[in-house]
Amino acid sequence: MRGRTRSGLRVWLIYLALSVVTAVMCFPLFWAAVTSVRPNEEILRVQLIPHRVTGAHYAALLGGRRMYFEAATGYQPSTAPSQHFLAWFANSVVVCATTTVLSVGVSALGAYSLTRLRFAGQAVVPYLSLLGYMVPSIIYVFPLFLLIVELGLADRLPSLVLGYISITLPFSMWLMCAFLKSIPVEVEEAGLIDGASRFQVFRLIVLPLALPGIIATSVFSFIVAWNDYLIARIFMNSIAQLPLTVGVMHFFEGVHVDWGLMMAAAVLMTLPLAVLFMFVQRHLVVGFGAGAVKG
Amino acid sequence: MAFLIPFAIVSCAFVIYPAVEAVRLTFYTKLPFGSTLTFVGLDNFRDVFADPVFWAAVRQTVLWTLASTALQTVLGLAIALLLHQRVRGINIFRGLLLFPYLVPTVVAALVWRWMFNPEFGVVNAGLRWSGLVDGDIYWLSEPRWAMASTILLNVWKYTPFVVICVLARLQSIPVELEEAAQVDGADVWRRFVHVTLPQLRAVLTVVVVFRTIWTFNKFEEIYLLTRGGPGTSTFNLAVYAFEQATANLRLGAAAAAGVVMLVFVFAGSAFYLRLVRQEER
Repeated sequence: MRGRTRSGLRVWLIYLALSVVTAVMCFPLFWAAVTSVRPNEEILRVQLIPHRVTGAHYAALLGGRRMYFEAATGYQPSTAPSQHFLAWFANSVVVCATTTVLSVGVSALGAYSLTRLRFAGQAVVPYLSLLGYMVPSIIYVFPLFLLIVELGLADRLPSLVLGYISITLPFSMWLMCAFLKSIPVEVEEAGLIDGASRFQVFRLIVLPLALPGIIATSVFSFIVAWNDYLIARIFMNSIAQLPLTVGVMHFFEGVHVDWGLMMAAAVLMTLPLAVLFMFVQRHLVVGFGAGAVKG
Repeated sequence: MAFLIPFAIVSCAFVIYPAVEAVRLTFYTKLPFGSTLTFVGLDNFRDVFADPVFWAAVRQTVLWTLASTALQTVLGLAIALLLHQRVRGINIFRGLLLFPYLVPTVVAALVWRWMFNPEFGVVNAGLRWSGLVDGDIYWLSEPRWAMASTILLNVWKYTPFVVICVLARLQSIPVELEEAAQVDGADVWRRFVHVTLPQLRAVLTVVVVFRTIWTFNKFEEIYLLTRGGPGTSTFNLAVYAFEQATANLRLGAAAAAGVVMLVFVFAGSAFYLRLVRQEER
């Protein structure tokens, strides 16, 4: 009897500790969400539960309207008003999706031939990839930019894809190698004996088996590309061509800082990742288990 | 073999070439509006090493890396142990606590700037309400607090990484070990120190090495929050290199600072690879 009450107390203490930790860790996001629905007149007064709620900030971002204190102060935003938000969003989606498809495709093929075929120097490639993703982007971003300029791609979206691939490729190669190594060769050999070509074996046998790994790698690549600021900051210049990360930071320019607008942008930027994450949470555990996550 | 060709081409052009080129740039200087490079030997390194801001950046990088990594590891370990408890609904907490790791750095920086706003921010409001401080703390414009804010942001965002890794390992420890110790009469603390911790040693070492290298490399977490300021008080080496290249238009000096970083990173990676080989043996 005594044992049971003690363990009951223990469970409650665990819940208490869990709630405190979760509340603290999630507070910044909660606070962003709360701020994003508060009207401008009240935003500067701290209220945990907002008295009045408005969708004006979201409407300004998604409706592509100019808002930005114009009515109140006559202030004209000179650089990057909210009207570009949808364009930035579209840029980010297109560039990150292209990056993910290319870098996962290239590394899946590469990792397959590394783990299945024998040739000299084979063992070195995964380790080189690992090194590649230890190297800080600040080191190669400028030489890469000079290359992009020479290719005539500066300030154009394809340059971002190339730049992002340089971050995602080493790490998706490392991950794909880890996944493909865990698929038994015997299954494929059976396929080869039955007269399938190498590519057929890859497409019909290896890919389906490697699917959880491919999903995990894709999600990680997408997140890394979606989060990049540095490369886009160096490569891009025109306001309408920016991805979300660089675009949104332009909200800090100008005399007034519109916190409601900014927090709405923060929420909208996080949403795709949250949705993606919920859909593939099960597969992601596989990726974390493989021990290679970029951060 | 042919499957490797796309990877070889792409990685040579967009990963290896820029890295090699970065090292080559350290020996050159480039005029802002010309496209020609002039060979200057080791001048870039000499300039950088003579720059007091560079040495300040080195000190701040060390402080920021050590403090962030230590806090992340301890907090991450504690949270992982908490999430390892078998109580109902634990999966909801696991999901929620992973979230900061997903949040883009730009978003974290936006929210931080808002929360840590001295006049209207919720952090100062909370501190004032609780009576802990009297006036306002100028989180982002006072050197000491600015550094603390960047560390706090980094710890918030990357503690979940430690949690994930440690939790994955915890779940693979056989329950029998713990139970045997319990039967032998070991209390909670002893079971942790003598049973659980030794099992976690390998994963903790890897986590610390990875986190140290990645924290050392971070650029956005500092730049987006404080721009390295006030003054240069939160410069780390990445921000220093960025400022050299963009504000001062000195690509060579930026590359030199980058190569100094590279030395650290390679040392860390070599250490990691040695650990991996020891494990495999």
